[in-house]
Amino acid sequence: MVPSELRAESFARYQPQARSFAVSNLSVLRRMPLILASLMLRQLIQFDWCFPAEREQLSRQFDLLSGLDATSFDALMAPFSAILLSAELRGMEWVDRPQLFSEQLTAYLWSEHQIDRYHKAAQDYQQYLETALKLMTPAGPRWTIVTVGQGSEQTERPLFRKLLPHGALFTQVDPAGGLEILLAEVRSRAQRYPIEYAHWYIEGGAPHAAGVGATNLTTMSYDRLVPVARREFSLLNQFASRRSTNGPVGVEAVSSYVASLSPEDLDLKGTGADAVLRHFEVNVLTQGAGCQIYSTTFVQWAARECLHRAQPLTLFARFSTRQANAPMEQLLVRDPLQQPQDQEGSLVDADMGAYYTWINQSRLTGAEQSRFLVWFEGHRIACAIAPTLSRSTTSTASTNLRQVLDWMG
Amino acid sequence: MVTFGGGARDEETFAPEGQENIPHLMKELIPQATFFTQVVNRGILGHYVATASLATGVYERFDNFADVAPENPTVFEYFRKGLSRPANDAWVIAPSNGFNRIGQSGGGKFAAGFGAQVVLPKHLLASALGRASVNSGGLDFLLQDNYEDLLFTPSSVRSDVELSRLTEMLHLSVDDFAHHAKTLSSPDELSVYVMRQLMRQFAPSLLWITLHDMDVAHTGAYSLYLDGIRRTDRLCAEIWQMIESNPDYKGLTTMLVLPDFGRDSDFNASGNGFQHHRTGDPLSRTTWMMAMGPHIRENVTVDRALDSLDLVPTLGSLMSFATPLAKGRPIAEVL
Repeated sequence: MVPSELRAESFARYQPQARSFAVSNLSVLRRMPLILASLMLRQLIQFDWCFPAEREQLSRQFDLLSGLDATSFDALMAPFSAILLSAELRGMEWVDRPQLFSEQLTAYLWSEHQIDRYHKAAQDYQQYLETALKLMTPAGPRWTIVTVGQGSEQTERPLFRKLLPHGALFTQVDPAGGLEILLAEVRSRAQRYPIEYAHWYIEGGAPHAAGVGATNLTTMSYDRLVPVARREFSLLNQFASRRSTNGPVGVEAVSSYVASLSPEDLDLKGTGADAVLRHFEVNVLTQGAGCQIYSTTFVQWAARECLHRAQPLTLFARFSTRQANAPMEQLLVRDPLQQPQDQEGSLVDADMGAYYTWINQSRLTGAEQSRFLVWFEGHRIACAIAPTLSRSTTSTASTNLRQVLDWMG
Repeated sequence: MVTFGGGARDEETFAPEGQENIPHLMKELIPQATFFTQVVNRGILGHYVATASLATGVYERFDNFADVAPENPTVFEYFRKGLSRPANDAWVIAPSNGFNRIGQSGGGKFAAGFGAQVVLPKHLLASALGRASVNSGGLDFLLQDNYEDLLFTPSSVRSDVELSRLTEMLHLSVDDFAHHAKTLSSPDELSVYVMRQLMRQFAPSLLWITLHDMDVAHTGAYSLYLDGIRRTDRLCAEIWQMIESNPDYKGLTTMLVLPDFGRDSDFNASGNGFQHHRTGDPLSRTTWMMAMGPHIRENVTVDRALDSLDLVPTLGSLMSFATPLAKGRPIAEVL
């Protein structure tokens, strides 16, 4: 099937809201080249589990495209149309299985040395959207607060080196009650801007009491999801064992199988009200390499995906220690919560994870007004990035986290 | 040939902030080397297919995870056929299952039977652990395979019979092997140990070792990635010491060190920084190369861009064999 042959019936297997959205935008989808149409469907097929920000983005994108005249539309699509696809790809079930199509497409583009061309087309398209769509100003400045080194002793390693050029370093912060201060600020913001999925707490261990049950605060934690990750590995092994009787299992087959796993498959129970969050949690665990076995990777990847997809106003990400390294075969079967911890390595991981979290926050609208704070939990060092603070400065004056938050504005 | 794999970025190596991770390269090897600051890999950024491309001088296009041989003739075949060398004169020490076909091409473009012998040290150790009288506890971490395809074992990996033959050829008893392995701390250390045995036993003229520990970056643990780089840095210096302390090699050997490719930039939104090598951005494609040896100028830096494919024609020119199907050009600065 080619996009021009799409009909309302083509989306019969989609979830209700996804089907409705696709049918409403059928005329645009039919005019797209196959590559872009499949990419759109890869996101659209998840519409029922999308965050409000994602739905808004999709709607505005289709509204923009439907308003373009034919010449402008075709010019925008031309870079995608120019990439030739194999007959095998064109014959795939890309409407019902856009994820699988995307994986096959990626492998094909690499093998045909067209991956750079594809990336250029995608980046230009994204650039066009960002220019053409008016920026959605967030309801308030975005705040991200990261804590690293939970349970770690003092370190000789210089922390926050990559962040310092962008912010202010505080070396004499009173650590007393630090977590309570930070979580109180998070709760306060959640009350001030009562928006669904706008305030997040991502925890690398068990959630701190000061963050539990807060109104409008979406919470996910590594400890709670470890059984889900272990269930995922168990199912994956069963799948590989079944399939390997007919020869080695291919990467694509495994990827597609993992991508097909639902919260129910992974025994992630909940209610209809939190279905979007549960699907997000499953996506984090099934798409993020390493976040099943290392809590540090979990927090970094979950924060990245949260910022990218939910575009929150507030994110509190707390890194914990991860289990010590071991043979992969062991890591895949053992309980990460019952193993010796690598405190020193975890601090290095979290330091880099904090930097990546700031980068991901900086990609969102309103970045120039965003605030970012990272604190070495239980210790005296913190780094703050805010338009109210001078860059590349170091303060050795005694202070506390409440004061630093106030300075950040 | 040493591939500084699998996948290291400039930021963690030769960029100013990364030099603390490579003290041996910086202080011991660079002063003795011609150093090329830009080597661009324009091929597929998967470890096996990229290493195969380095070995053939052609950007191979096969599925990185498939159990296939390179389509184009390898440098080992050019070498052995061109100089009429025996099988034990060209060896590859490879990191994981997926590399077991890298020694000889399968595309029918070259007469069969001139490939390199390929050693998979982890299989050697697995065989040793399976039979040795020693307790295997504490050694199994060395069996860690690559970090992307744990569940996939190509059907054509060496059989136990072949492993036994190889162990015999290397004059290793399994107990001896396991005993030595106990003193090591990573799969790459095991590979270097096997390299030392190969040099002692056969003194091959063409020896290719692919290091891989740093690919643990795929787990997202930055500290483990840095540990891998630091270990590889130290192992490169050890390899050079092995060369310089072995009469069959001292003063007669050229060593080339280069990564197979880099890793994704922190600032490419479609990637996740150091963790993977999926975007094909310039940082993931651009690496470096170090050349050392009796005819190589010391403490020289070359900033012009090389192509990864230049390696095979350069080896051909250095060792006087033809590489007719390889792309790229001999690197004049090392000839």
